[in-house]
This record gives sequence, structure tokens and C-alpha cells, in this order.
Amino acid sequence: MTRFLSIRFLQASIVVLVMSFVVYGLIGLMPGDPIDIMLAGDPNMTAADAARLRAVYGLDRSILERYLDWLGGAINGDFGYSRQHHQPVLTIVLPRLLNTLYLMICAFLISVAVAIPAGVYAARHPRSLVDQAINLFCFAGISLPVFFLALLLIILFAVVLGVLPAGGMKTIGESSFGDRLRYLVLPVATLTIANIAQVTRYVRSGMIEVLREDYIRTARAKGANENRVVWRHALRNAMIPTVTIMALECGTLLSGALITETMFSYLGMGKLIFDSILANDFNVALIGLLFACSVTLVLNLIADLLYAALDPRISYR
Amino acid sequence: MVSVISTETVTRPGQDAALPPPLSPSLLVWRRFKRHKAALVGAGILIFLALLAILAPLIAGWRGQDHEAVDLFNRFQPASAAHPLGTDDLGRDLLLRLIYGGRISLFVGLVTACLTASLGTVIGLISGWYGGRTDAFLMRLCDGWISLPLLPVLIVLAAVDPTKVGLPMAIAKSPDLSLYRIVLIISLVAWTTSARLVRGVTLTLKTRDFVQAAVAQGASTARILFVHILPNALSPILVAATLASGNIILLESTLSFLGLGIQPPVASWGNILTNAQEIIWSQPMQAIYPGILIFATVISLNFVGDGLQDAFDPRTEGR
Amino acid sequence: MRFLATSLLAASFALTGAALAQQKPGELTVAMQQFPATLNPHIDSMLAKTIVLHMTQRPLTTYDEKWQAICLLCTELPTIENGKAVPVDLPDGKKGVKVTYTIHPNAKWGDGTPVTTKDVMFTHEVGKNAETGVANMEQFREIVAIEAKDDKTFTVTKDKLKFTYNLLNDFRLIPEHIERANFDPKQAAEYKKRTAYDTQTTNPGLFFGPYKITEIVTSSHVVFEPNPTWFGEPAKFKRVIFKVIENTAAMEANLLSGSVDYIMGELGVTIDQGIAFQKRNPDKYNYDFKPGLVYEHIDLNLDNPLLKDKRVRQALLYAINREQIVQQLFEGKQPVAHTNINPLDWIYDKDVKTYRPDAKKAAELLDAAGFNVMKEGYRHNAAGDRLRFELMTTAGNRSRELVQQVLQSQWKAVGVEIVIKNEPARVFFGETTKERKYTGMALFAWISSPESVPLTQFHSNHIPTKENNWAGQNYTGYKNPEMDKLLEDIEVELDKNKRLALWTKFQAIYAEDIAVLPLFFRAEPFIVPKWLKGIQPTGHQYGTTMWSQNWAAN
Repeated sequence: MTRFLSIRFLQASIVVLVMSFVVYGLIGLMPGDPIDIMLAGDPNMTAADAARLRAVYGLDRSILERYLDWLGGAINGDFGYSRQHHQPVLTIVLPRLLNTLYLMICAFLISVAVAIPAGVYAARHPRSLVDQAINLFCFAGISLPVFFLALLLIILFAVVLGVLPAGGMKTIGESSFGDRLRYLVLPVATLTIANIAQVTRYVRSGMIEVLREDYIRTARAKGANENRVVWRHALRNAMIPTVTIMALECGTLLSGALITETMFSYLGMGKLIFDSILANDFNVALIGLLFACSVTLVLNLIADLLYAALDPRISYR
Repeated sequence: MVSVISTETVTRPGQDAALPPPLSPSLLVWRRFKRHKAALVGAGILIFLALLAILAPLIAGWRGQDHEAVDLFNRFQPASAAHPLGTDDLGRDLLLRLIYGGRISLFVGLVTACLTASLGTVIGLISGWYGGRTDAFLMRLCDGWISLPLLPVLIVLAAVDPTKVGLPMAIAKSPDLSLYRIVLIISLVAWTTSARLVRGVTLTLKTRDFVQAAVAQGASTARILFVHILPNALSPILVAATLASGNIILLESTLSFLGLGIQPPVASWGNILTNAQEIIWSQPMQAIYPGILIFATVISLNFVGDGLQDAFDPRTEGR
Repeated sequence: MRFLATSLLAASFALTGAALAQQKPGELTVAMQQFPATLNPHIDSMLAKTIVLHMTQRPLTTYDEKWQAICLLCTELPTIENGKAVPVDLPDGKKGVKVTYTIHPNAKWGDGTPVTTKDVMFTHEVGKNAETGVANMEQFREIVAIEAKDDKTFTVTKDKLKFTYNLLNDFRLIPEHIERANFDPKQAAEYKKRTAYDTQTTNPGLFFGPYKITEIVTSSHVVFEPNPTWFGEPAKFKRVIFKVIENTAAMEANLLSGSVDYIMGELGVTIDQGIAFQKRNPDKYNYDFKPGLVYEHIDLNLDNPLLKDKRVRQALLYAINREQIVQQLFEGKQPVAHTNINPLDWIYDKDVKTYRPDAKKAAELLDAAGFNVMKEGYRHNAAGDRLRFELMTTAGNRSRELVQQVLQSQWKAVGVEIVIKNEPARVFFGETTKERKYTGMALFAWISSPESVPLTQFHSNHIPTKENNWAGQNYTGYKNPEMDKLLEDIEVELDKNKRLALWTKFQAIYAEDIAVLPLFFRAEPFIVPKWLKGIQPTGHQYGTTMWSQNWAAN
């Protein structure tokens, strides 16, 4: 087990390292650059200005050179400056990461808390009225584009009912916890609706599958307590594909809440990464993506460990 | 609880009495699929939408309308005999736009989902079966791939000159280029989900007796993978693929939202919906129609997925 | 489901009025679309920064809402007539000008330190240092000498006697008493990391305008409060908040829900949103659709053999109906452009050649140019080349995409095939236009100040090439010695009447050569609540916040 973990840890570090280079390269490959855009927008700028600014921002050197420079700093704990905001990268990234964690944890916990019981119930009563209702809700959740869902929620709760703020992080000049919470409701709702739907679908289909298995029939035939059969034996097995999906979903939540964050003017990682990629803010984009990447790796590792825990036939040596 | 047991396990006397004549496997699948009413309806809707999409040029010809011809004096016309759903922001028949949009959206959704599922399945099977270094390599590739940012990839690809990478002029100059690009990119990015799923199932299955038996009999690896393991992994793949095709149709609309999607004047449900968000207050129906179509398609895909899951599973017999 | 969605939306329209939050007394919340990356006046250049910065400080001079040059921080606009500007001969034999400015005697930074020539000299020192990373070097480069006469008076010697000799529009002061410590001439590159505008964003000593910044959260909002040391008309609001909302549909919802009070035109909703919003809420707000100096046009790549022929270019303009586009899509709120000169600018020639939609004339011109074979609905020449162009613009800009599709349709009617190919703004501006990689047409806009000389857009020295590191905005590749001479002459002609004659000639050449297809001037919708007074849209690049002290609740 320890060996397994250390191997995985080593592998993960290699992935992060390779990723950092791939991402750096990708951003570098993108055509255009903020200095080009400044140049296009400002009639007074000359070729010399462009060259001078490039030199100031170190863009005149090759990608590889800049990357190695960055890597050297990063290993020593210096992640550099944000080129856009002229501030140390961590000063920019950490508060955003925290905001995203709030969003992500809330969305994840609520999804799981709702999706597992709903999926199990639906699986135990296939084609019942409740199952159909749950199905319909899931499909509705899956089939609404996020920006559209967000817009509908804003219209309903902020404009029509006027009970929740339309966007932002907090009321300016106020710092109570309740206030923060009010601003979290709509973005979390937007994220959870789609997420619940996905997870419920997987739990339901996994459960239906498992409930047909012979050992469940056997357990039942032996007169085992039905709740025990469902929640211990069946759910355990049904969770295998679900855990995979949830690990993936959770990783993408970190960087993938871009649209939700944009619609609600929420200051999270998704928007930060997107903006810094577009602005060639290499340092911020890299750190942001590496955070996202590391979280995905860790979650996948957890998912793999959970496989072993859920299914004794899988073992890691 | 009792009801579950009864539907699952109790065979009805009538069926027990006389054994049915032997049926071909595909007929069996169809028989079971038929029993899933929602799946039938879903399949019906999908076929209907697909037919509309295929027949779009004929419909346009029959109605004497052009889905790309702008008529500035007929913007936002209400529903009428000539325009059953009214007209859009450039005076084009909205119904026809939606039918043509279906061509694109369904194509993107289905083709990409198939590509994605096939790629993911092969990788998942190999990874799960061989294990060890192969597995570690493929799964770490998978992890890295998932965290790869989609947007810079898209932007980079958007700027690549297609004639320089050897694409024939006909494709490079085609207005559908953005379409092929989206299919390609999503396929390249989205295979990881099905790969991980299939790998998980393969890991479980390879310790099972019937697989071990096949190994003992000296069956080739390919045979084991595709004859013994794949059919058993089919239901999660199908569920994933049906969900994925819905997701891809949605992803196309998100890409439109970010300005990286299908370019006008080509219509897709995604870009019709995205265009409608700025005018949602004054012209809500412009958003609602494409919304309903996406909704109906995703629902139908899911029901069909459900139906297929049941149909492929021999244990569903006897309901 | 359809019923549900419909009724939900219908209900929302019926109820929107009821939920409108009341205005908080003494407070104003303004929505804008973009957040400034830095507030340092000289590092980076972006519209959002200028808008925020003008709440808190003023450049020396600017254009007012009547497009006249005025003094803001100085006491009197220097002119040759009043003796404060004197033409001089420079050592290298060229003609320069020496201009004397006096800083307003009561101008004080927010911490009480007077604004003096020390700040001027310091700003110049920072600006001219190549390492600092100043975006707009031109304004520092044109200054060959700068000299402080006393605490409040200084002279500037410029390298050329242009008709704009007395303007220092982008010369925004930075406080010497704070920033001196952060600027080390030997390590000027470090300045952008140390500047107090990014490290002590709410230091009152950074501001001398009617408002000072008291809170700033990157990418989210800026809070302003009145600055007691401001020397002009006092600020009326106890608090002004600029809130960043990137999505314009969400911005509209924020306005309706009362989370914001006012949407500024410069960085607000699109014109069609503004028009639709006005239709639904005609009484609750005042609307100002100020058409300004944002000129939407299509650059034609003159290297394209088909576009080399002037007849083809003229035919393209005859074939489209811009008046109809403006009327039907924008309710006539955006005036048709006949050249790049706005009808509101005093140099505009109302007799300039205009291209009324005329399909027959377009057909004749195209026939004459050899494109007289119709095949598959499109024109071809004898060699079999199809009359076909790529029309590119920024992807995701709905207004432009609408215009694009209308144009495509109108050109199709005369047998010209248009293929639409859009790219993300960053690629489009960063590479496609700048490196002239577009093959046919590029649709975009220029924003300018009144009577600005489009030297970089039409002078042959400003065609971007690999050799000149892609500098210049002459993306069409337009070369006309007559035009070159004209532009150079306009720039240094001080006599208004003579200059007007030159401008008239410029417009005539523009309209005859049609290297660029002019479309229309963009209008910016200002959605102002009835109770808010004093918002004065200017229509040029120096916007409303420059007069924020006049904003008041009724």
C-alpha cells in the first residue's frame, strides 16, 4: 500500500511537471499577445515600443528559456509576478482558490447528499412516478446550458422575486457570514443542478445493474434485511462507476466553473485561469492550472483507492 | 421493496409453461428494447429530428425559403402561416433555422460521442486488461489530459491555417470548417471519461470466472477483450455515450457563448440559443425554441440509453 | 415544459417593476464590463483604466463634450495667440514649439501634498525611461525638453509644431512624494511591481480628483468616496461603486434587480440591448445613444488581386445598403459613415461623395472590371476566377455578426460570394489584422479623439511589415503619395481654414479610392435612472467620468 501510494505520488509529480510544460507551451503557441493588441489599438505605438515592451516583459526570449527560468523559481518557491496585475502570483491565486473551494465544496456536498438517495430510490422503484419525476429533473438539469440556467435563475430570484443578489461576492461594506451565504446560493444552485443530475444518473444505472446481480438475489433469498442489502451490498458496488465520475466532476469544478463564475461575477479560479490565458499571464495561468491538475490527480487517486475499498476483488500492491 | 423482488425474480406462469422459440440475439435485444416505452418514444423523437435534419434542404425547397437569406424588414415577426415559429433577428424563418441547426447539433453530438466512446473504450480496455506500466502510463495520460485547458487548445487550433497542415482546399475553405474543428477537438478531449469507466469495469471483470475460463482455454487477448469483456462493459459505455452526446450538444452551445463555436451564418441550436441571450427580455421565444429542442434531444438520448441498457442485459428478461 | 418556461418568462416581465430596489441615498452603483488590470496611469493601456482613473484625477488637457480642447489641471490653455506657446527652431533645424502650462494653484493630492512641477518632472522621468514599461511612449518621446519654472509652472518643448501643439491629453501625473521611493532609475523594470497604484491602492495621496478610491477588489469592484482636497466643484455622492459585470445579459438583470443603478455607455450593454431595454422601460430611465468617434468599417486587403481594382471596391460599396442596416438593426441610432470623419466633427465635408445603394451601378462596375460571367449565382471573370472574399471579424460579437450576415446577403444579390470567418478578438487583432493575414475583408472599429489625423491608417510608411516589426495601422496596404503628403501637411497646418481645405481633400480621396468600406459610427447606450443628473456623454475616447463631480442624485 505504501509502495503503491509512493509510486502514484511519483507519477503524479511527473504528470504535473509535464503538464506545466505543455500548458506553458500552449499559451506560448497562442497567436497574438497583449502587446500586439496594445499595438493594434494605439496608433502612437511604434515598432520600437513593441520591442521595448516585449523586452520589459521578457517575451523576447524563447519559450523554453522562459519556462526553465520559471521552473527554477518555482522549485525555490518563487512563483513569480502576475503580468497583468503586477502582483505576486500567490496573492492573486490564493483568495480565488479559497472562493472556488467554497463553491466547489458546497456544490459537491449538496450534489452527493441529494444524488445518492435520489439515485438509489429511483433504482429501487424503476418506472414509478417518483423515478420518472427524478428522471425528468435530471434530464432538465443536464439539458439546460449553464449560461442559460444561470440567466433564468437570475431572472427568477434576483429580478422577479428580488430575494437574492444577481451577482457578485458580497454586499459592499458588509462582511457578515450570512451575507456571503446569500451571494453563494445562486452560483451553487447553478452548479449543483447540473451536477446532481449527472451523479443521480450514474447512481441509478449502477444500482439497477447491481440489484439484478445474483449475489443480491442470493442475499435477499437468504432473508437479509432489505435496507442492508441495498445500502451495504448494492450501493457499495454501484458506487464504482459513480466514484469515477464524481472524481472527474469535482476536478473539473475547480477550473470548469468558468461560465457560472462569469454569469454571477463570482471571483473563482475558472475565470482567473481563462482571463490569464487570454492575457498571456503565464505565471498565474500556470499556477491556476497546476492547482486544478493536482486536485484532479489527488481525486483520481482517492477514486482508485475507493475502488479497492468498495470492491475487494481489486487490490493494489 | 417487495415490488422490486417480484418484478425481478418471479417468472409468470404463462411464460414458464411453453418455451418460446429460439430468437436471434438482435431480435431479442429489439424485443426487450420495445418494452421500454420511454425509450421507444425517445427513439421516435430522435428519428423524427434526424429525418427533419436530413430533409432540411427539401423542406426549404418545398416552403420556398432560404435559411440564410436575410430580410431586414421582417425581423422578429410573430408566428404566422408563412413562419410557423416567427422569424429571427435577421428576418429568417426560425423553424427552418432550427431544422438546419439540428443538422449541425445532432451531427456534432452523435458523431463526437461515437468517436469519443470508441477511443475511450479501446484505451480503457487496454489499460484495465494489461495493468502495470501500461495502465499507469495511460491513466496518468488520462489525468493530465483531463486537466488540459480546453480553451487555449481551441484558440490555438482556431488560428492554425488549415491549408498549411495539408487539408484539401475544399475543406479548408468550407464554411463548415468550424464544425469539423469542434468535432475533432471535443473527441480529442472527451475520451477520458469513457476510458476511465471502461478501465474500471475491465478491472472488475478480468478477475471473474468466465474471463478466467476464457484465458485458460487460450483465447486471444483481442477475443477476450471484445467478445467477453466489452459486451459486459457495454451498458456503462452506453450510458456514458448517451450522456456524453447530450453534453457535447451543450458544450457546443457553451463554445458559442465564448465565441469559439459554430460561426454564422451556419446555424446550430447552440448558437441560436447563445445569440438569444442578449435579447432574452424582448424576444424570449428565440431562446425557448432552441432550448426545447436541446432539452428534447438530450432527454430522448437518455431514454434510449436506458432502453438499450435494459435491452442488452439478459437479466431483464421475464418482466 | 414549454408552457412552464413561457409563463415563467412572462411572469418575470410583468413583475420586474415591482422588484426594483430603491436607490440608497447618497450612493451610486455603476455597472461596467471590464476591470482595469492596473491603475498606474502609464503602465498598460486600456479603456477601463482610463474610465476609473478619471474619477480620481485629471490629465492636463482634454476635449470636452463639444469636442473642444480645454484645460483640466492647467489654468489656461496655452496658445500661440496668448503667448504661452512659442514656435522655436530646434538644434537639428526642425521647427518645434515651447509651451508653458500652469498647474491649478489649489490642486492637492488626497493626503494634502500640493500637486507641483515636481510631480510633472517625476512623471516625465518615469515615462521616458524605456525600462518602465510605459505603453504610450509617443507623448514622452515628442517632448525634447521639459523645465520647471516654479512650483506650479513648467514648459514643454515638443519636437514638431503640430496643430495639436497645446495638448497633453494623456499626460497623467503620478505623485512624486509617494512614487519616488518605488522608482529606481537603475532598476526601472522593477517599478511596475512596486508602484503604489498596485501595492497601496487606497492611499489617498495617489488621487487628486473629485473622488478617491477607498476599496478595490481585483476583477470585482472599485469603491470611491469624495476627496476633500479636490480643487473643483465638490463631489455629490457619499459613495460611488463601479461594479464589474462581464456578461451583458447579466448586467441588464442587475440593473432590473436594483443591484446597479446606472449602466455606463463606454463599457456597458450593446446597442441592440439598449434599444430593446428602452422599448420595455421607456419611463424609468433616461436614455442617451451618443453616436461617437467609434468608426465601424471594413478594411480591404489591397494585396488581393481582385481588390486591387478600384472599380471592384466601389462596386462593393454601391452594392450594400448601409442606411437600411442602420435603420432596421439599430433604429437609425448609428449614423452611416461616408468616410472616417464623423459628421459631428467640424472638419466633416457634407458634400463628400456618397455611395447610395445602387445595384445597377455596382453591376456595371463589376462588368467593367471583367466579372461578367454568372455561374452558380456568382460572378466570375474570363479566367474563371470567382468574385469571392473572406469577411473576418471578432467572434462572439453579436452586433458585428448580424451586420456581417446582412452584408453577405446583400453582396450575394449582386453576385459576390462572401465567406464569413471569425476569430477570437485576441487572434484577430493580435495577428490577423496586424500582420495583414486576412485575405479579403476585416470588419472592426477605430476609436479616436476629435480631429485626429489618421496618419497611421493611411500613410504608406505605416503599412505593417515584418521588417518594421508589424508597426502601423495601415492594414489595407494603401499607398498613395498624394495621401501621404496630405496627411503630413494636415498635421502641421495651424491655420484652421487652410486645414479645413486639406481635410476636404482628404475626404475626397478617401471616398474616391475606397481602400476601406466605411459602415457607420457606433452609438453607445447610456441607461441613466431618472434621478441621476449630470451624466454627459462625450462621444470620444475621453468619457463621462472626467466630469464625475457633476453627477448628482435628484
